[in-house]
Amino acid sequence: MPPTAGPQDGPAVVLDAVHKRYGAVQAVDGVSLTVPRGEFFGLLGPNGAGKTTLVEIMEGQRRADSGTVTVLGRSPWPRDPALLTRIGVQTQSSAFFVRLTAREHLRTVAALYRGDDAAAERALASVGLTEQGGTRVDDLSGGQRQRLAIASALVHEPELIFLDEPTAALDPQARRALWQVLRDLKGAGRTIIYTTHHLDEAEELCDRVAILVDGRVAALDSPGRLIEQGSPTTRLLVPAERLDLDTARGIPGVERATLEGDSVVLETLDAGSVLAAVDALAGLRGVRTRTSGLEDVYLQLTGAPDPRA
Amino acid sequence: MSAYAALTTAGYRAYTRDRTTLFFTFAFPLLFLVVFGLIFSGQDVEQSGRPYIDHIAPGVLAWGVGNAAVFGVAFVLMQWRRDDILRLIRMTPTPVSAVIASRYVLAVAVGVVQAVLFVAVATLPFFGLGVSGSWPLALPVLVLGITAFLMLGVIVGSYAKTPEAVAAVANCLMIPMAFLSGSFLPLDMMPDWMQTLSRALPLRYLNDGVSGALTGGGTGGVLVDCAVLAGFAVVLGAVAVRTFRWSDKS
Repeated sequence: MPPTAGPQDGPAVVLDAVHKRYGAVQAVDGVSLTVPRGEFFGLLGPNGAGKTTLVEIMEGQRRADSGTVTVLGRSPWPRDPALLTRIGVQTQSSAFFVRLTAREHLRTVAALYRGDDAAAERALASVGLTEQGGTRVDDLSGGQRQRLAIASALVHEPELIFLDEPTAALDPQARRALWQVLRDLKGAGRTIIYTTHHLDEAEELCDRVAILVDGRVAALDSPGRLIEQGSPTTRLLVPAERLDLDTARGIPGVERATLEGDSVVLETLDAGSVLAAVDALAGLRGVRTRTSGLEDVYLQLTGAPDPRA
Repeated sequence: MSAYAALTTAGYRAYTRDRTTLFFTFAFPLLFLVVFGLIFSGQDVEQSGRPYIDHIAPGVLAWGVGNAAVFGVAFVLMQWRRDDILRLIRMTPTPVSAVIASRYVLAVAVGVVQAVLFVAVATLPFFGLGVSGSWPLALPVLVLGITAFLMLGVIVGSYAKTPEAVAAVANCLMIPMAFLSGSFLPLDMMPDWMQTLSRALPLRYLNDGVSGALTGGGTGGVLVDCAVLAGFAVVLGAVAVRTFRWSDKS
C-alpha cells in the first residue's frame, strides 16, 4: 500500500548541520544528510558514535542543540501528533503491554494510532505472527518478540520507518525472514532508516549507508561505491600443503604472503595474473578469493585495528 | 476503539490476569478485616463506646483502597518506563490525558469494587457492621482519597526502577501510615502525640471520612475530610508532575 498523506515529492528526512552535546560529550557533531523517499538507509558506526542519538533526534524524542531537522516536510520537535501518525518507531522488544496476547497488544497499539483491529491483523500477518496471535507476549521467543516489536511500528502503515538494530540477537533463519519483511516494506514504497552492526546485512539491504564516527559522517554512499573506493586489495587463500610461503612471495604481483591456519594468504592488487601463476604452480582447486567488503571499509574508517596488519 | 478505551481494556486485562495483584488488592485487606474482626468480636472500644467493627471495617477499607491505588499506579508506571511502553505511547498521537484518564478510571473502579466487597463482608452478622444512611458520602471520600494516593503512587513509581523497589518504598509508606492513621487500631487507644502526627497523613482523613460516612459521624466532618483529601491530591499531584520521567535514561 503506497503512503497517501502529505506531499510525495519532498525528501523523507533532511538534516542540516545537526549538533547534540551531552555534558562534555559531543554526541552528534555537525551531521548533514538527506534521505529521499523510498530509500533504505543504513546508519552504521561503533557504539557511542551517535547513531541512536541521531535517530532519536529524527524521531522527535530529542531536540538538536543546533541545526535543522526536517522529517516528511515537518519539524519533529516539539512533539507533533500529525507527524507521529506518519512515522513508525521500533521500540525495545520488551515494550509490550503486560499479560496481553500478541494480538491484543497490537490491537492496543493500533488504537493508540486510531487504527482498527483489521490494521493490527495486517501488521501481525506482515511479520508472520498470525499463528502466534493468541500467545501471551511473555511466552513468545526472542525472534517472535523482535518481530512483534517491528509489527508495533508498522501497525499504522507509516511512510517512514525507524528501526534500531532490528536483527540483533536473531538466529540466521529469523534474520533472513526479517530481511524479507524489510524488503517487502521497501517494495511497498516505504522509507526505512535503520541502524545495525551487521555489515553484511547493510550491504545486502541498504540503498545507501552513512558510517558515523565520533558524531560525524565519515562516509555516505551506496555500499557498492563505498567498497570500490575502499581497499582495492584482493586476498587469495591457497591450501598451505600445495604452496610454500617463499614460492608465494616470489609470484609477481603479490604484495604480501602470510600463513593463516591451513592456508597461505596472498594479498594482491592484480588478482588475475596472480591467479594464473597460482594455477600453474599449485592448481586452483580449493583456492578461494576474498575481495574487500563493506566490513573492511567500515573497519578502515572507524579506526578499528585491522587483524591482518 | 478509542485510545482511551483500548488502554482501559488493556489495563483491565493485565489486572484481572494477575493473581498476585488480585490477592493483595482484594483478599489481603479482607484477611486483616477477618483477623481483627475475630480478635475483637463483640467488643466495644473503651474510649468511644462504639463496637470495634465500626473502627476496623472503615479502617481496613481506607487502607486497602489507598494501598491498591499506590501500588497499582507505581508498579505500572515503573514497568511502563522500564519496558519502553511510555516511549511507545509517546510516539503515537495519543494525548497523555487519555493515558491518565484510563489509569484513573481503572483505579477508581478497583476502589469501588474493593469498598463494596469489604462492606459486604463487614455487614455479615458475624462481624455486625451496621451501615448508616449517610453511606453515599463515602463515594466522594473514596474518589478523592484514591486521587491523592494515585499521586503518591506516581511519585513512588517515578523514583523506583525495579518491582522490588516499588514494593519496598510503598510498604514503608503505607504500613506505618496505616497504624499511625488508626486504620487497624482506633486512634483513641493511641498516645496524644500519635494522634497529632496522624493529622499530617492523608490516610487519616480517608479513614475518618469513610468511617464518618459509613457509621454516621456527621456530614460536616466528612466534608472537611474531603477538602483535606483534595488538598493532599493537589499537593501530591504537583510533586508527581515534577518527579515524572519518560525514561530511565538520563
